[in-house]
Order: sequence, then C-alpha cells, then structure tokens
Amino acid sequence: VDKKTLWRIALIVVVVGLSLWSLYPPKEKIHYGLDLSGGIHLVLQVQTDDAIKAELDDSAQRLVSRARDEGVELTQGVSNIKELSFTVNVPAATDTVKLREIADNWVPGYTAQPGAGVWTFELPPNMDRTVRDMAVRSSLETIWNRVDQFGVAEPVIQRQGMDSDRILVQLPGVDDPARVKDLISSTAFLEFQEVVGGPLPDRQSLLTAIGGSVPSDSEIVPGDREGIDGAVIGTDFYLLKKAAIISGQELRSARRSQDQYGQPVVNFATQPHAADKFGQYTGSHIGTRMAIVLDHRVISAPVIESRIPGEGRITGNFTIEEAEDLALKLRAGALPATITYLEERTVGPSLGRDSVVRGVRAAVAGLLVVMLFMLVYYKMSGLNANVALILNIVILLGAMAYFGATLTLPGIAGVILTIGMAVDANVLIFERIREELQVGKTVRAAIDTGFARAFGTILDANLTTLIAALFLFNFGTGPVKGFAVTLSIGILASVFTAVFVSRTLYMIALAGRERVESLSI
Amino acid sequence: MRIIGDTNFPFLSYRRIAITISILVIVAGLAYEFLGHGLNLGIDFVGGTQITVKFREQPDLADLRAAIAGLDLGSPLIQRFDEPEKHEIMIRVENPSGVEGDFTTPILELLHAKFNSAIGNRFDLNTKGSLALVDMLAAADPDGVGGDMEGRSAYYEPMAEAVLDFRKQQGIFTSLDQLDAITGLSDPVRAYLQKTAAVGDFALLGADSVGPAVGKDLQRKAQLAIIFSILGMLVYIWIRFQLPYGIGAVVALFHDVLITLTALAVTQREFNLPTVAALLTLVGYSVNDTVVVFDRVRENLRLQRGEDLEKVMDASINQTLSRTIITSGTTLLVVISLFIFGGDVINTFAFVLLVGIIVGTYSSVFIASPVALAMNGLLVKRRERRRAAGKR
Repeated sequence: VDKKTLWRIALIVVVVGLSLWSLYPPKEKIHYGLDLSGGIHLVLQVQTDDAIKAELDDSAQRLVSRARDEGVELTQGVSNIKELSFTVNVPAATDTVKLREIADNWVPGYTAQPGAGVWTFELPPNMDRTVRDMAVRSSLETIWNRVDQFGVAEPVIQRQGMDSDRILVQLPGVDDPARVKDLISSTAFLEFQEVVGGPLPDRQSLLTAIGGSVPSDSEIVPGDREGIDGAVIGTDFYLLKKAAIISGQELRSARRSQDQYGQPVVNFATQPHAADKFGQYTGSHIGTRMAIVLDHRVISAPVIESRIPGEGRITGNFTIEEAEDLALKLRAGALPATITYLEERTVGPSLGRDSVVRGVRAAVAGLLVVMLFMLVYYKMSGLNANVALILNIVILLGAMAYFGATLTLPGIAGVILTIGMAVDANVLIFERIREELQVGKTVRAAIDTGFARAFGTILDANLTTLIAALFLFNFGTGPVKGFAVTLSIGILASVFTAVFVSRTLYMIALAGRERVESLSI
Repeated sequence: MRIIGDTNFPFLSYRRIAITISILVIVAGLAYEFLGHGLNLGIDFVGGTQITVKFREQPDLADLRAAIAGLDLGSPLIQRFDEPEKHEIMIRVENPSGVEGDFTTPILELLHAKFNSAIGNRFDLNTKGSLALVDMLAAADPDGVGGDMEGRSAYYEPMAEAVLDFRKQQGIFTSLDQLDAITGLSDPVRAYLQKTAAVGDFALLGADSVGPAVGKDLQRKAQLAIIFSILGMLVYIWIRFQLPYGIGAVVALFHDVLITLTALAVTQREFNLPTVAALLTLVGYSVNDTVVVFDRVRENLRLQRGEDLEKVMDASINQTLSRTIITSGTTLLVVISLFIFGGDVINTFAFVLLVGIIVGTYSSVFIASPVALAMNGLLVKRRERRRAAGKR
C-alpha cells in the first residue's frame, strides 16, 4: 500500500470514527421528531384585539376616575376596537378646558375629539402596534412559565416570524395532550369580586330580582351549581360588582392543597400591598358572599366568615388535577389576550413507537435486498459497494446526530431512499468500468477512467436531487423539513462513500500486485 | 452477471407512439381529476380535524357515525385505520367554514361520553397522562410514604412512568389485569390502581387539526415549492447542458408529476404534506435519471462530432440502459419494502415514489430525449433561417 492510499484510509477512518463518536450512544444522540416521540405541535394565534380592548377600557376607566377625583363627573361610553377609540359621556356643564388638561395628564397621546355630549378619544397611532406586540410577547412569556412548571423536556415555544401574532409550541413526549392544551390556552384571569345579587338558576329571574336592568358598575356572571355530593348539577347566575377586590396578578404564590375534608383546594398568598386591601375588604364584609371568578365564570362564592389577611384558599369543585393546574396557572400569570388554535398535531406515544418499529423494519429489509443484489450482480465489486453503503448510513446518522437534526417519519423514509439511491453512484461507476474493460483496457486503467468519467455524471445527478431537497427544506414544516435534511445529508454522504471510499477500497485490493489480470465485477 | 448486454434499441423511433400514449394518459388523468372525484385533499390543505383512536374492542361504526353526526361538524368520514385486528379508527371532519379553534377536544369529549360513561369519576388509564397519575398516587399514598407532596411525587413518579410505558408499548390497556404484567409497581400501588382506576374504551393515537388560515398557507407553500424546484431544475440543466435539454428534462418532469397525480386521484389516496415531499423527491429522482442520459449524450457528441443527434441519443440511451434499470431496480426494491412494511402513515408516501420511479424511468428514456431532440431541431432551423436571412 502506497503513501497516497494510506492518506485516503486515514481520512476515511477519521470521518467514520467521528461519525461513530457523535452517534454514540444512539438512543441519546438521535433526536426523534414529534411524530416519532409522540407529543404535541400547536400553532396559536394571540387575539391581540383583546389587548387593544383592554388598553382602551383601562384608559377610559382611568380618565373617568381621575376626572371624578378632580370634580369632573363623566361616565364611561363604549370602546371601538376597529377605530381604535373610546368614548366618554360628557355632561353639558362640564369645564372643557379642565377636561382637556386631565386627559393630557392621564391618557397622554390620545387625541380628544369633542362632540355633543360625547367625547371620542383616539389611540395614539404607534400605540396600536406596540400594544399588540406586547400582548404577543407577554403571552409567549406566560406560556413559557406554564410549560416550564409543567416539566416538559426540550419544549419549543417561539413566535412565528418577527411581527406575527402567531406562536408555535412544540412539546415532545407529552402523554396527556388534553391537559396540556387546556394549560396553555386558558387565560387564567382570576378576580375576587363582590356578590351583589343571586345566585339564581337563570339569567331572567336574576334580572327580574334586581329590577330589570343591570347597574352600570355590575355584571352578570354564570357559575356551576353543585349538588350536595359536589357534582355539578346546573348553572347559577350571579350579579357581581365589576371592580375587582383583588386580581390574580396581585397574588404572590399559589399552591395545591387539601381542605379538612380531603377536597383539593388552592392556597394562595397575596402581595403585601394587596394584603391590606384584601384584609380591609373582608374585615368589613363579614357575612356577605365573595365570588372567585376565573375566566369570567364563578368557580365558587363562599361567605366571608372572618377578616382574611394576606393568605387564603380557593375552594371549588376541583379534582386534584384541576387544583394543581389552577395553582400552576396562577403562579405563571394570566394571558393578556385569548388564544385560538390555528393548527394542532398530536401524536400519541404508541403511534410514534409503532412508526419507528415499522420504519426500521422497512429500512433493514430494503438494505438487505439491495446488498444481496449488489453482491450477486457485481460479486467482489458489489462487496465494495456494500461496504460503502454501510459507511454511508453510518456517516448519515453520525452527521444527523452531530448537527442535532431530528429524525422524523418521512426522515426514516429519506434514509431508506438514500439506501436505494446511494448505490446508484456505484452502479454508474461499475457499469463504466465494465465498458472500459470491454474495449480492452487494463484493470487499473479501466478503474481510473471509470471513476473519472462517472464522476461528472454523479455530480450532475446528485446536484439535481439536492436542489429539490433544498426547496423542500425551505417550504417544509416539521416532519417534511426533517425529510429534506436527511435526504440532503444522505446525498452528500453517498457521493463521499461511493466515489472516495470505493476508490480507496479498489486501491487497497490492487495494492502490491504487479499485474492485475482480472477484476471481479 | 449481467441483465442486459450490449443493446441497440432504436428508442427514439418509437417516440411518436410513446408521446401519444403519454399525452392520452395525461389528458385522461386531467379529465378525471377535474370531472371526477379529483384529488383527495387532506386536512393539511383544506383544513379540518382528523383523529385516530384505538379501541379495546371493535366499535360499532354505525353507532360512532351517529354520535359524530350529532356534533354538527361538516361531512364526517369514519373508517378503519391500519389492520382491522388493531381496532383503530380514523375520524375526519371538516371544520365549520372560516372558523379557527380547537375541534379536537369536543370530539374526544363526545367519545368519552359515549364509550366511557361506565367509568364515572374513576381514573382512566387509557386517556390520562403520567403527571396526573403521579398526582393521584401522591395524594392517595398507597405505600404510606408520608412526608410532603413533593417527596411523595418523586417516590411515585417511576411507577407512573412504568404504567405509561406499558400503554406506550401496547397502545391501550384492555383490562386492569394487565397491571400485573408491569414490573416496578409496589403491591399496594397495584392493588390501589386495580381498585380505583379504570380502563376506558379508547386511547388517543393521534389528532391533527388544521384551521383555514394555516391550510391556505400550506397549500400556497406546497405549490411554490413544486414550481420553484422545477424552475431550479430547468435553470441547472440549462447551465450545465443547453436549453433544449433543460426543456426536455422539465417536460419529462411535468409528465411524471401529472401521471403520479392521476394515480393519486384514481386511488383516492390522501394528498397531504408528506405526499408533497414525495412528489418533490420524485422531481429530484426523475431529473437525476434524465441527467445521466444527457451526460452521456454530451460525452458522445464530443467524441463523434458531426454525427446525427438522433443516432447519438439512441446510442447513449442504450449505453446507460443497464445503469438505468439497475438503479431504478434497487430504488424500487427499497420503496417496495417501504410500501409493504412502512405502515399506514408512510404508505401513500411510498406509493407516490413507487409510481413515480416507474414513470420517471420510462420518461427519461421515451420523453426527455425526444423532446430535447425536437427542441434542438427547432433551434437549429431557426438559426439556419436567421443565417439565410442574413445572407440575403
């Protein structure tokens, strides 16, 4: 074996060695895609209109209450999300100069348009985007917090594009998709509110009881009615004060616990400033009901028995899971806007496992048949090609492990396809060598020209497939992207093994022989 | 060993027949696609919800159909999935038009209400996850570990994982007795589960739900990917060879894609994202095959200047014929293996490649070269006409 061959052998050993090293141990190094590991893929849309509405409502409320402090009586009008404005009703005798001054101070940036009895305030032009952007960002953070506490390994939670209101969530290995979905998308907006009427079994009788119309500072909120055994037997309607006593944002901690009957509850502690507020309120309202409202639904409305300082407990008809999840959501914070599902893909763990087993079976069967064929058709040269093929697969898997590429179900198909197409390069070379032998060239010359002539063709042929794989990668999502990656790496690896490795194997086989009479091909 | 020796088929002289047959097949296919059922577009592109569940026992499909119809989601499709003895059912519904949202949960809730009413409040081993199981065991504490919740959760976690691993392998618990087969459970825990848990009638294998916005997005992306990759091929071959060859290869490509689409329409197999991936792979493969022939034509033209192009092409096709057949053969072998062993999920993917490789091999011999020849003829004629005009 001459020096040149030794160098080639060294290079091959290094490449294969690196591949094996980055591949070992395979169970840890090859990352399965969602479709193989099981898990959940969600594309969520943040309804940023909610955030705009909240911003408008907040501003209107602030304006009205500050104006009242300064002796100007206004009432809140309506918020218009499309026109990005809110209105306040301004009585005829109002000091308009003073109102403008108050508006400049407390809703800065808004342009005020005075009208007959109604003033319209328009959102500052650049605020629209800022508010929406903030809503998406803080949704992202809240979802991160929730998933983080839920303990999912290697989650992907990211915004789809810089300015988009879509969020991509990928959680591998989740075995209870329904629970995770609820955990991610529920707003978890918690408020403690004063009960001023009800509960009554339907909206109409509640309306009649309070004299036919809902006062402007109150709202009707439904809630579950529980039977004696705790099961839900219907819906109750409550009349609640709109202004919350405290809200979920003012909680410091929340933990699942049990009450004296073993029923799951959520214990909470408020932040210091909210503790005073809460203590004062509960101290002065002993004997009245206080509603605990989650996402605009009353979960329970206990009677206040004593002054509640900074700590308390939320009771409701919870299962253990529900109490656990509620505590988790309260810790992680509320979402600033509702979320809708645009896309959901759930793969149960058993389906993914089944796919892996079948994919591997198909790969092994395909590999064996192809190797057998090559051996029969090209004899010793076929063996050469088979060695190259095995190394090709090792390098392919090693490269995937090295780059952290994920193996998906179509990706497995890509590996299998690579097996079929990898021998193509060898076939091109061998057919060419046979032709050269036929026209009477010596074995060495035939091998040389065979490789040289076939190389251009191999390059052209593989580049076209690479182009297709590139476009596939560009447009593809999830599993399809995985396929494109596998195919691309497979093509590159096959050029290396079929051209370089095979050639070196011939060099080794022919080394040290003065005259080579025949080639087993 | 040799399959094909030195052949000398006059392939190009069959070009009129071959092209006529291909045109007939494509026209019939297009007619079928537009007038008949058309392509069976999956939810990836039209939006909708598709749920696969595994049942303990074969459920009554008519019953299931009646239950789903009550949901008022457009045209439900319910069919068996995979091998019948696996009791796997696929439910596919259209989402209400223009509405985004979670359509998986209502279907699962409906199935739960219909099949699992006997369970009541008991813990369902077939739908609940490991975290819920940890919570439940930690609260009940059958082993009497004591201490705080966190400590107990850590203690019961491996047992919960063992239970879920079993479900992962089997797909579904068919009875509570199967708990006996799980090693790693303490006896009190096993007894506790046998007493308080239940096995529901079904387990979720997979769910896909695509809203209209994403569906439209995916459709557009798929079209762009196919168009751009074909354009990419045209440009590459144009640069590496000449325009007539580029056109020949691209015409062969369209030919392959159209016939494969026809096969998809006739078999009414679902057209989804993996199908597009398979089509793009086919694009790469088909050009690959054609390029090998063109490469040989180019080489032979250099060796034998002035030789008639048709003769050179025929010779080149013959010279590369054994390679064409062997490569198609080995690729077909693995694709067949994929088709047989790959399972339902990958079956259509393999089908596209199966049809595509056969058609692609045919077209690289009978379509690509004749079209390149004709295009070259046109080019030569135009050049001569120009030259003639210039002389005058």
